[in-house]
Amino acid sequence: MTDKTILTVDNLALSYGSNPILKGVSMQLRRGEVVSLLGPSGSGKTTLLRAVAGLEQPHHGSVSIAGRAIYDAAAGIDIPAEKRELGLVFQSYALWPHKTVFDNVAYPLKLRKVADNEIVQRVHAALKNLGLDHLAERYPHQLSGGQQQRVSIARALVYNPPVILLDEPLSNLDAKMREEARAWLRNLIVEMQLSALVVTHDQSEAMAMSDRILLLNGGVIEQQGTPTEMYGQPQTYFVADFMGSNNIMAGRIGDIRGGTARIDLENGLSLWGLRRTNAAIGQEAKAVIRVEQTLLAEGPGEHRTEIDLATSMFLGDRFEYVFHAGADLLRAWGKGHEAAGKRWLEFPPDAVWVF
Amino acid sequence: MLETLPRRVVVALLALSVFFPIGLVLYQSILSGPFFMPAARLSLESFVFIFDDPDFWMAARNTIAVAVGMSLIAIPLGAILAFIMVRTDLPGRKWLETPIMIPIFVSPVVLGFGYVVSLGPVGFFSVWFESLFGGVPWNIYSLASIIVIAGLTHVPHVYLYSSSALRNLGSDVEEAARLSGASPFRVARDVSIPMVSPALLYVGVLVFFLGFEIFGLPLILGDPEGHLVLTTYLYKLTNKLGTPSYHLMAAVATCIIAVTFPLVLLQRALLKNAQRFVSMKGKSARQRPLALGPWKWVAFAVILAWLFITVVVPVSGIALRSVVSSWGQGVNLLEVLTLDHFHAVFEEATMIRAIVNSILIGTLGGALAVGGYLAIGLATHRKNDGLSRFVDYIVLTPRAVPGLMAGLAVFWVFLFVPFLAPLRSTLFSVWFAYAVVWLAYGMRLIQSALMQVGPELEEAGRLVGASRPRVSLDITVPLIRNGLLGAWLLIFMIFEREYSTGVYLLSPGTEVIGAQIVSLWASGAVDVVAALSLINMALVGIGLAVALRFGVKLHD
Repeated sequence: MTDKTILTVDNLALSYGSNPILKGVSMQLRRGEVVSLLGPSGSGKTTLLRAVAGLEQPHHGSVSIAGRAIYDAAAGIDIPAEKRELGLVFQSYALWPHKTVFDNVAYPLKLRKVADNEIVQRVHAALKNLGLDHLAERYPHQLSGGQQQRVSIARALVYNPPVILLDEPLSNLDAKMREEARAWLRNLIVEMQLSALVVTHDQSEAMAMSDRILLLNGGVIEQQGTPTEMYGQPQTYFVADFMGSNNIMAGRIGDIRGGTARIDLENGLSLWGLRRTNAAIGQEAKAVIRVEQTLLAEGPGEHRTEIDLATSMFLGDRFEYVFHAGADLLRAWGKGHEAAGKRWLEFPPDAVWVF
Repeated sequence: MLETLPRRVVVALLALSVFFPIGLVLYQSILSGPFFMPAARLSLESFVFIFDDPDFWMAARNTIAVAVGMSLIAIPLGAILAFIMVRTDLPGRKWLETPIMIPIFVSPVVLGFGYVVSLGPVGFFSVWFESLFGGVPWNIYSLASIIVIAGLTHVPHVYLYSSSALRNLGSDVEEAARLSGASPFRVARDVSIPMVSPALLYVGVLVFFLGFEIFGLPLILGDPEGHLVLTTYLYKLTNKLGTPSYHLMAAVATCIIAVTFPLVLLQRALLKNAQRFVSMKGKSARQRPLALGPWKWVAFAVILAWLFITVVVPVSGIALRSVVSSWGQGVNLLEVLTLDHFHAVFEEATMIRAIVNSILIGTLGGALAVGGYLAIGLATHRKNDGLSRFVDYIVLTPRAVPGLMAGLAVFWVFLFVPFLAPLRSTLFSVWFAYAVVWLAYGMRLIQSALMQVGPELEEAGRLVGASRPRVSLDITVPLIRNGLLGAWLLIFMIFEREYSTGVYLLSPGTEVIGAQIVSLWASGAVDVVAALSLINMALVGIGLAVALRFGVKLHD
């Protein structure tokens, strides 16, 4: 642990009854860093966040904030949620409907027995920071979804918690607002030099928002790294599959040469790719290639195959081509419309992963 | 959410309030005499005595006849009523919703009295009917009449549960059946009714169970011809042997609890099952009502006829009886009109005390009871541990004890626990009995209000630094204040309506209208009973009006 580490989770385990949710998760968050907890539903990402917050009861492991243990199963330490001094932005925002915007944000300071005039000043500063100053006397139901989210953030930041936790912060916004809010939120976190732990199920959101991503699967961390590492160098099939849009084909290993392998696919194709499996020749494996790396080629060549184009779909910023390869549907992207028929498709070996 | 210590204190007080009186009843039932007599020893002779008494077996047979009979009447009628109100284009459905609920809020003893003055041998409606047709085909004092009236007045209970189940049923499942080729009536038969059958089963057990509890109707209607049920048999035992026959009463009470407690547990299991069924509902956004065509006027007429018999007949009878000096064949209404009965009521200190006490116990007592229920609710709110499950069962227990017996048990507690004795002749003893008897009902109101609070609103409070008690105080309670107001109004009506619980607690200083009516009825003071009954209904009516004004839902 370096002195830059603000949040440390060590081997945290949690069960609901006999059903294990977290099976020993360890992670660190450094000061001023944004880390995303990414994973499909049921992976334990929200549970991990809530366990850090003190809202779920782990049974093993430890959590510490800035060197202070807030949970330690072995030492019998379990600081209640209200004493952990963390900020949490709820998925539903959880604004108290019976309090005005001002009172919502002021409540944490009231609990800390801050003097009244200082409360007024600090709340207004926090609201101003988030562009909400003119809404102070409104009630939550009079605000738009985006405004509610900002109030929720203001409430979580007003007492300067060392770490801010965000639970699916963008999922309650409609699709168009989500992209704008993503940029705004990333900018806010960076400008205020916050240390943030963000839960999300959307890989593009995670890549856009965070410095580091932890991908959870079934209660364990599958892989962690920067967004570019996670996207460009997946260590397992699960990560490769989760992080992007892929063409996935099943087959058997046909040949192995150092770090590369040839896979003979059930659809009849044979591809060379980067070897990410210990499977021996003749054993089952999967080939994964990102859709954007699957290239429509002019004619025959190395690593190219002739294949049936079934249809083209217009997606607005690009076209998507759908190919038939045996029982598989393969996809590729391009600029223009293509009529159905035989086409050449290139699978660059350094873009194909064999798991 | 309270911290551990206050939480335990709340639960301990609750457990003591519930188990001590009931434990006393069970203990008393296996003694040979009243438990305060030194000669009393452990013995089963009280059971031997009542099992030897032919009246006990007659009462038991009648009780089963009433419970079965009223279920057979109330369940089909209530289910049909619910289907018509929820699923069809019956005219005036909105307008009918409130009157349908009225029988629930009228005190059964008042209702029974209303039937006597309306349909009894010289009742208003009997006299009119006789002058038109030369005779009346009914005998209000027969067991059959008791069963029919009990059945008709319990239709709202069935309506309540089956209508909410039907409302929760998404119309998508019905539409899917329609599109597969089913006619509207096939849809009802093959889809809607089977899907609400868990709710019907639940309410069936509930009505059957209520049959074991009814006291006011058989007390008033069963007395002239000697039809006893177990509760009235218990009541008559009070003075059967000359000395207080507590051990016999306790034995009867134990027999009743032996039937009702398993029924309460069964209801609990069925309710869980029913809720599981409902949670599989589809989207209930819009329901297209079924067109009844010309049948809607038939349905409308049937509902009006039912309302006429269960509400208009007894209530108008009481209203009329309270302003006439006497009534019978050939009496001219205009010559006997009088306000003397009300004067009589307002001239007697006991009556005024009864009215004041009733108002106090409804308003102040209701508020205190809601406060107590809230404390229990908060102690178990979002805490799914052993203590909470224990509270679940404690809350359920008084449900199995009819009010008459609960009042008796509380009377014993206040009579013989030395430091409580001075409180016996104060309103506190009555309030305590009421609060315990209606514990399950009150807790349902509080818990359904608490369930409305999103857990994240409370978690947000914890995260920003509020302890559990602070969260309860600053977030949970303010958020459910409307629910609390509604609970208070409903408890007010229930407390005004209550009569049997106060019967044994009746003493100078603890008079409440309901118990006063029971006691006056025995002395034959019909005039005063009529005036008090009208005042009682007026109090409930005020509560109902205020509740409707504030938009309180009469059921959840």
